[in-house]
Amino acid sequence: MRPIVVRSADAGEIARLWKQVRKVRWLRRGEEVLLDVSRLTVATAAFEAFFLALDRQATAREVTLRAVDPAGILESIRARYDFASYRLAPAARRGHRSFLVFVGESAATCGSSLRGHLAFLGETVVTALGMLVHPRRFRFGDALLAFERAGFDGLLITSLIGFLLGLILAFESAASLRMFGVEVYVADLIAIGLFRELGPLVTAIILAGRSGSAFAAEIGTMKVDEELDALTTFGLPPVRFLVLPRVVAAAAAMPVLTIFSELAGLLGGAIVLQLMNVPAVVFWKHVTAASTLFTISLGLGKSVLFGFLVGLIGCACGMRTRNTADGVGVAATNAVVGGIVAIAVTDGLLAVVCYLLNV
Amino acid sequence: MKEAANAIEVEHLDAGYPGVTVLRDVNFTVRKGEVFALLGGSGCGKSTLMKHLIGLNPARAGTIRVGGLEMTPANRARILRKIGVMYQSGALFGSMSVLENVMLPLEEFTRLPAQARRLLALMQLELVGLKDAADKMPSDISGGMKKRVAIARAMALEPEILFLDEPSAGLDPVTSSALDDLILRLRDTRGVSFVVVTHELPSIFKIADRCAMFDRARQAMVALGRPCELRDGSDDPFVRRFFNRGEEAPAQPPSNPESGVSHGE
Repeated sequence: MRPIVVRSADAGEIARLWKQVRKVRWLRRGEEVLLDVSRLTVATAAFEAFFLALDRQATAREVTLRAVDPAGILESIRARYDFASYRLAPAARRGHRSFLVFVGESAATCGSSLRGHLAFLGETVVTALGMLVHPRRFRFGDALLAFERAGFDGLLITSLIGFLLGLILAFESAASLRMFGVEVYVADLIAIGLFRELGPLVTAIILAGRSGSAFAAEIGTMKVDEELDALTTFGLPPVRFLVLPRVVAAAAAMPVLTIFSELAGLLGGAIVLQLMNVPAVVFWKHVTAASTLFTISLGLGKSVLFGFLVGLIGCACGMRTRNTADGVGVAATNAVVGGIVAIAVTDGLLAVVCYLLNV
Repeated sequence: MKEAANAIEVEHLDAGYPGVTVLRDVNFTVRKGEVFALLGGSGCGKSTLMKHLIGLNPARAGTIRVGGLEMTPANRARILRKIGVMYQSGALFGSMSVLENVMLPLEEFTRLPAQARRLLALMQLELVGLKDAADKMPSDISGGMKKRVAIARAMALEPEILFLDEPSAGLDPVTSSALDDLILRLRDTRGVSFVVVTHELPSIFKIADRCAMFDRARQAMVALGRPCELRDGSDDPFVRRFFNRGEEAPAQPPSNPESGVSHGE
């Protein structure tokens, strides 16, 4: 192998010379490599890394590394670093796991997460029951503020989505029903669909996106800033102080938002039917006939349950925020995803129960 | 290009933010290979001044030259290649391991192969005593370790000047002393100039070759010189109180009453 002459220690020169490290790999045991650093006056970090790599490769191949080093640069580098502790092969990539390990770890994580959520639910319920005994301890001010943010501030967006939902439902169903000359029954479809199912469901999804994520981000930031620890050391349980007001606010805001969303949906449907020459009076008559008190109550009951779930999951994700750069972001994402999944699963279960009870 | 005689030259600098002047008419130089400390009480403008020196805030008036280049928008990119910064919290990227944090500037600014970048980063970590923590995440290491990783990251591109914002803040005396030793070792072995923002007296006396002191009330630099000389010979009551840990020390005869700046040199 030809001598390696280092003319300069800058990173560009070292990048060019690095292939010499690889060439040492092909030398036979006992062969010799000459490293000439006589032109160097000072070593850079890049040169230090190059010398270390060359030395390690030569040692691994049992090749003799000779040096022309009048200034003693190489010796001073050897004195600063523990050469023997370095390996040339890159470390195993972080996060590279077998499929079985991945499945096992995921299952364990899910189990642990479920257990954590259940424990949190239990703690919240116990705290809420305690509030019934000592109602003055409930933080009404915080709950009102959370209600304003989750409910009042969200009225416009939920009403808009509800309006568009009614509009789209009416257009899509009218096209089919018109073939049979019964487009007037679009009003029944919209009323039952909105009051019983779509009103609470869509409003809850909006609440999960707006407020569930906000709860998780607020509490998560507080956790990262050690505010939760501060509350605990003051003797103020975070569940009573932070969680309960938000959960109550979300559960209280949901029926209000749902009613506005449903009314806007009816308005959207009425406009479409008006365009199809169905008078508003007829539309209203069909809506009132199709909407029983039970249907409306069922929808509003669902909305309270969905609000409770969204608030609870948002707060739980916030409380479980990890102290990393992406911790709060992950908590907010989990709150939205967890909230929507919980809403969908609960809605499905309620649909089965209603079917079995024939209601 | 002629090599600059000083690492940093600050002339008639007014430091502050838009609409707010924090310090007026600041003048000092940082020599090559010295540790220069910016001292003063909380809120006196040390960190604001450092933001001017590293080009984060434009000067309200006056000039700053870093490595012979005047701090202007046109020169900013070239100046940034000459400097490294360690922020008070370390400012490590939480989604990357310690090793990846140190490798990041090498990936962006050098054409070194991956193996070289990894070795170089590991060697920087060995210099700060954290080679064994290379695969850990920032959330898994202590505050002192984060600061040392931040120094290793700042050192990876071999800057001429390193800026350290409160390196000893929040650290125990042993870790703080180890960090001071590291700064001195890097100065001696690499010839790096340091600008250190601090108000930790033991650290100042251990590492600082010279220092500048700032007073919030006067919005001015009130002293410049070697720490021991300022402690023993300053005529400024604020400087004496600072070096005597808040207690009034006997007054010294005035050395330079006209400029309002005590010189210990």
